[in-house]
Amino acid sequence: MTDISRIRNFSIIAHIDHGKSTLADRFIQVCGGLSDREMGDQVLDSMDLERERGITIKAQSVSLNFRASDGEVYKLNLIDTPGHVDFSYEVSRSLAACEGALLVVDASQGVEAQSVANCYTAIDQGLEVVPVLNKIDLPSADPDRVIQEIEEIIGIEAHDAEFVSAKTGEGVVELLEALVSRIPPPEGDPDAPLQALIIDSWFDNYVGVISLVRVVHGKLAPKDKVQVMSTGRTFLVEKVGVFTPKRSQQPELSPGDVGFVIAGIKEIDGAPVGDTLTRTERPADSQLPGFQMVQPRVFAGLFPVNSDDYENLREALHKLRLNDAALHFEPETSQALGFGFRCGFLGMLHMEIVQERLEREYDLDLITTAPTVIYEVLTTRGEVISIDNPASLPPVNHIEEIREPIIEANILVPQDYLGGVIGLCVEKRGVQKKMQYLGNQVSLSYELPLSEVVLDFFDRLKSVSRGYASFDYHFARFQASRLVKLDILINGDRVDALSIIVHHEVAQARGRLLAEKMKELIPRQMYEVAIQAAIGSQIIARTTVKSMGKNVTAKCYGGDITRKRKLLEKQKAGKKRMKQFGKVEIPQEAFLAVLQVGREK
Amino acid sequence: MPEPATPPPLSLYVHVPWCVRKCPYCDFNSHAAVGNIPEKAYVDALLDDLDQDLNTIIDRTIHTIFIGGGTPSLLSPNAIERLLTGIGQRTGMTEEREVTLEANPGTVEREKFSDFLHAGINRLSIGIQSFDDIQLQRIGRIHNGNDAIRAAETAEAAGFGNLNLDLMYGLPEQTPEQAVGDLCIAIDLNPCHISWYELTLEPNTLFHNQPPPLPGDDAVLGIRAAGLPVLAESSYTHYEISAHAREGRECRHNLNYWSFGDYLGIGAGAHSKLTDTGKQEIYRTWKIRHPRAYLENTTGTSRVAGRSKLLQQDIILEFMMNTLRLTRGFSTAQFTEATGLPVSRITPTIDEARSRGLLSRDGDLVHTTDTGSRYLNELLLLFMPEGSARAGTGMG
Repeated sequence: MTDISRIRNFSIIAHIDHGKSTLADRFIQVCGGLSDREMGDQVLDSMDLERERGITIKAQSVSLNFRASDGEVYKLNLIDTPGHVDFSYEVSRSLAACEGALLVVDASQGVEAQSVANCYTAIDQGLEVVPVLNKIDLPSADPDRVIQEIEEIIGIEAHDAEFVSAKTGEGVVELLEALVSRIPPPEGDPDAPLQALIIDSWFDNYVGVISLVRVVHGKLAPKDKVQVMSTGRTFLVEKVGVFTPKRSQQPELSPGDVGFVIAGIKEIDGAPVGDTLTRTERPADSQLPGFQMVQPRVFAGLFPVNSDDYENLREALHKLRLNDAALHFEPETSQALGFGFRCGFLGMLHMEIVQERLEREYDLDLITTAPTVIYEVLTTRGEVISIDNPASLPPVNHIEEIREPIIEANILVPQDYLGGVIGLCVEKRGVQKKMQYLGNQVSLSYELPLSEVVLDFFDRLKSVSRGYASFDYHFARFQASRLVKLDILINGDRVDALSIIVHHEVAQARGRLLAEKMKELIPRQMYEVAIQAAIGSQIIARTTVKSMGKNVTAKCYGGDITRKRKLLEKQKAGKKRMKQFGKVEIPQEAFLAVLQVGREK
Repeated sequence: MPEPATPPPLSLYVHVPWCVRKCPYCDFNSHAAVGNIPEKAYVDALLDDLDQDLNTIIDRTIHTIFIGGGTPSLLSPNAIERLLTGIGQRTGMTEEREVTLEANPGTVEREKFSDFLHAGINRLSIGIQSFDDIQLQRIGRIHNGNDAIRAAETAEAAGFGNLNLDLMYGLPEQTPEQAVGDLCIAIDLNPCHISWYELTLEPNTLFHNQPPPLPGDDAVLGIRAAGLPVLAESSYTHYEISAHAREGRECRHNLNYWSFGDYLGIGAGAHSKLTDTGKQEIYRTWKIRHPRAYLENTTGTSRVAGRSKLLQQDIILEFMMNTLRLTRGFSTAQFTEATGLPVSRITPTIDEARSRGLLSRDGDLVHTTDTGSRYLNELLLLFMPEGSARAGTGMG
């Protein structure tokens, strides 16, 4: 066991691409956590999806032993944090387990909005923030300018920032020394009743639930009987240990330790993230402050293509929710799509990731409906109701007003791209609140309707600024707006799952584009498919997918039959990805046509 | 023990796997002949192949023979005669037996037509495809329009009263007028059978990788709509998706496939379908595919490359894939006889197809509607089992 004074718990705050993963890998290498052979690329991003997309989604941790120049061995617990705007909630969870954070900034690109937001979260939580300039080996590195940016934009001292190159290894040992000297050790009483914060939990098919915990007070060892404080449920601890980053069993976890607990929990909601573990015999008086529950911002329906998969989908969602507290879901019934779930997500990336994990890890074929934000509706009877599904909007004559969520966006952009970014914000119905020149960058503050932001704002921002603009946002308020429901009719029937809520000024154009897009996405089939866009009873756009006229194999003789059969099997497989709607078959992509409309403008 | 039912009629298919040149649209087992075709060895192998097959079949009459390919008219009349004599010795000869040979319209082949007749061929099927020289070039045929006309005339003069002309439509950039033009030339030659089928791009063909500028779906439908009445007005009955015949002149060999009859296939890559009435089971077997490997197989051993038993679900689908190609469809009695299954097994699907306007049922007779024949694949999908596990045992 390590003396608590020689433990350092820290996170790395960095924008995507600023080299966090490479730096983490360097730490692991310097401290000998893995042999060179085991050093796959970017060890910490362990989920397949994370590696493919080059992003971190879930909190991960690694315990490293570092011999500092004072001759002592320090245990450095690195708790990884996600870097995407959708996952700021996960960041605050990770930071809650730390006493310090490294603010890693690209020495040529400078500060980005996401880092600013995360850095404020760290400062709010009382963490010691150590600024680090990475990629100083690049010829374009401009440390003086970036130091000035850190001081002006974030407002923390940066003249003593550490200089490193995670790529070459330059300055990495010095950074670890600085980490030991600048970040304070944790405090905690080993003899007090156990209080351990659940930072993350996930389901492992072999051992059940694994929880990542930070022990604050007391000790945690195998055979301890522990209690989850919010639910009162008790479990027997089987194993504890740390990640090196391999799972390494330990005799016990002490105050300041960040490690795993396996306690034979089979129920997937047995160890909720943010909860506190204590010992049954000598329970703690109170729970640790958990994390502020985040509200999902984007809602969409998830429906199994094959209705027999409904229960499997429910099970899979339960399992995902275990280590993704931000995922919300409740049963939804659609006239068009049958039984499914209305799910709440942090943002579009979160939605895409959940959908991809469900399809990949749980082998489900899903239809995702157009994402929407949550609206407030004031009815003529004076009630205020929340609407997370366009299909549940009350009839027009019952609506007094519809209010949409407004966010405040903070955008950092190099001066060269300012025009493009302002143009984008105007197009998205933004109202400028503030504009400030900071060195080479401009800090913009805009109020924007969330609905305009969730669809494609992030991608568009990247493209108008060649990737240099960054942004962060928070919810501001609900605000009345002239919104209408846009319906799509297939062969004269309204398809509830295709309805969207849009601003009345763009409704006509959106309806036309949507109908055109649907026409591209719905394949020609036996019957003509009429696609209409409507607002209320008024048809605003109309297109037709012509009938394909025939679908027949020209030749079929004796020996051909197996090949012709394969052809039929291929056609059958194609239909499996489509949803039968009356006589018409609608492919999965068509339900998300609204996203593609935005992207092509 | 139930009384063993009468097995379905049996046909014999003989595959000749060589062509002068492989056509870019062809996905059949055909190989460009390099040098002379080893016809003596091949006929020996075919007869040996037949001997092996006949060991497993007891007392069944072969009603039709079809020699297809490839280009079987590349074989010499002598070889054909030796083949047919050999088959006759093993299966008995009957006058009524339909014996078809597929032939190309080239000069060399034409000169053999008369001798083919004397060798025992009584039905000739000529692969005309088009009378338009430019089209013939584009689809990689080695004959021209004049060859095609001469071939049909030669066959007639040689005494082939039972003649089929194969024609394609939906050729690159083809207009309805051009397609009807081809049809009219064919009708003027007065064959008793015309196969008029759409050029489609099959996987594993040159055209699939480098598609020619085929007319779009709507244009092809237009061609079809223009051509069908022309055939009907000249008393060709549309009896199968792509087959048109004068009264009583339907191809009996192909009718047997489309009625879900049994057939033996000999030759490289040939398929057989045989019903074991005792066990109420249907087996498919296929022979060694490559001509060289087929030839190198020693005498007295089986050339079967694989064999699979059809699952009940597969039997239903394959029955439909065949019988619903026919304008007349099938009778419920025929279904039960061919599959050993009660008609109640398919009644719900038939009803579903009827409600979608794809099938008609008149008493015991079930057949496609006009829509159903245009959307035959959609109709067949209704009969396809969910999940498609295949039972198959390869035998090397």
